[in-house]
Amino acid sequence: MNTLLNKVLLLQNTRALVCAASSLQSQVLTTQMPLGVLLTNRQYRSMPTHGIGKYRHLLPKALPKKKKERVQAKQIKAATATEFGVFNVCVSGYDMTLVEHYSQYIHNLCNHLDIRVDESCALPTKSTEVMVMQEQGTKMYVDAVLKTHERVVQISEMKATLFPIFMEVVLKNQPEGVRLCLKQVRKLHLRHIDTVLIFILNLVWLHLTLLCHCEA
Amino acid sequence: MAAPFSRVYRPLWRIITTSALNRGVRNVSSSRQQWSAQNVKPAGAASPWALHGAVCLQRLPAVSQDRSPIEEEFMELMHQMELERSLLSDHELRLLEDAARMSRKQEEDYDSDEEEEDYRDKEIVTAQDLEDIWEQKLKQFQPAPRSQAVDEKDVSSSERCLADSLILLVKKHVGSQKLWLLPQIQWQTGETLRQTAERALASLPGADLTATFLGNAPCGFYKYKYPKDIQKEGSVGAKVFFFKAVLPSHKHLPLEKNSFAWVKKEELQDFLKPEYLKQVRRFIMAL
Repeated sequence: MNTLLNKVLLLQNTRALVCAASSLQSQVLTTQMPLGVLLTNRQYRSMPTHGIGKYRHLLPKALPKKKKERVQAKQIKAATATEFGVFNVCVSGYDMTLVEHYSQYIHNLCNHLDIRVDESCALPTKSTEVMVMQEQGTKMYVDAVLKTHERVVQISEMKATLFPIFMEVVLKNQPEGVRLCLKQVRKLHLRHIDTVLIFILNLVWLHLTLLCHCEA
Repeated sequence: MAAPFSRVYRPLWRIITTSALNRGVRNVSSSRQQWSAQNVKPAGAASPWALHGAVCLQRLPAVSQDRSPIEEEFMELMHQMELERSLLSDHELRLLEDAARMSRKQEEDYDSDEEEEDYRDKEIVTAQDLEDIWEQKLKQFQPAPRSQAVDEKDVSSSERCLADSLILLVKKHVGSQKLWLLPQIQWQTGETLRQTAERALASLPGADLTATFLGNAPCGFYKYKYPKDIQKEGSVGAKVFFFKAVLPSHKHLPLEKNSFAWVKKEELQDFLKPEYLKQVRRFIMAL
């Protein structure tokens, strides 16, 4: 069988000869492999260009598409003895430029000190109407509309030793007319920052000597 | 003469003989530059160092700092640019419309029926009238003063220098001298050092200061030796741990003149001893 094949290959590679060779090969193969596999044996598979455009086998294995799961509420990391949990720094005031710039300042400070900022967002603006009683009469008319803007920076995993330094910088740079408050987050809703309890510091005291190089 | 806050230089062999006989573990080096890492002894053996808790009470600034000339110029430039790029607001548009309508009314061929269909209600109060009313209100408004009428050099008042943060110092008897220091008090067994610092603040005579402590971790540390005549077997010196606390700027309480001082960071060198100042300066931020 082998010598016959060699003789065939020595001649010019005409199509008929190749077909003959392939048919011989297939006869060889059919004796060894189960019948079911090669029942679909077709002639063009012997063409040199057979399967020339195939690329699916080169792509990475695509996983079956998952159905969209219902997004679960994120788990909050609880506070440990050396780290705080998740808390919100709320900045609010009437002057939007001041409030925005201050919240951006806090966010940049966190980035600079490698403190993890989970979210930084704005809460809806609240409008307060100032109504003034008329001099003669009982009717009230609208004197002014004050808009309270609020920005929130959510911080997690802050070290307890870094916290006093951070607070000092934030408090010393607070502009006039801007209110600052820190709230601890107990429960996270999807897409909402729902603050439930007021911030309480209750850590176990650590005996650390902290020599910080905070020269202005 | 050795003040209790300056490091007394003693030859090393003397230290080893005096302290090693009793304790034998600690290497006390009293050269000025060297910090020795002190191991905290287990509760059984009494340490020869007395522990003190001190509080660095800071009054926060009440107003923002004044701008430097360059900052002023830049701010004006930015305002100018913003004004030139801005569009007219509703109120300004209304002003212009009223002015145009006024000028049209003065003309001879004014046809009031044509004009007045839309503007009948708005003629009662024009935009210019509103502006005049607002100007009157602005004149009645008195903003809070940027500086209280207090002499800037009077260090005992906590209302000086509203744009800076001030630190509280007290004058205390230490040994035979009277020294300016941050308020400190000796630690008692069973309490945390932060509680010691809170006690130090509460024990100040005449001061009803309710301050917020920023954290449980101390911010600074100072160690000094007692002068030789006071040094006994059990006590070598004292270690002071500093804790930071903030006092919001709207709480002002009068304190005794000669024993209390509110100072800025630059003025600290006039009050504190050099060695003490060196350690205290490390954790005070002048922002």
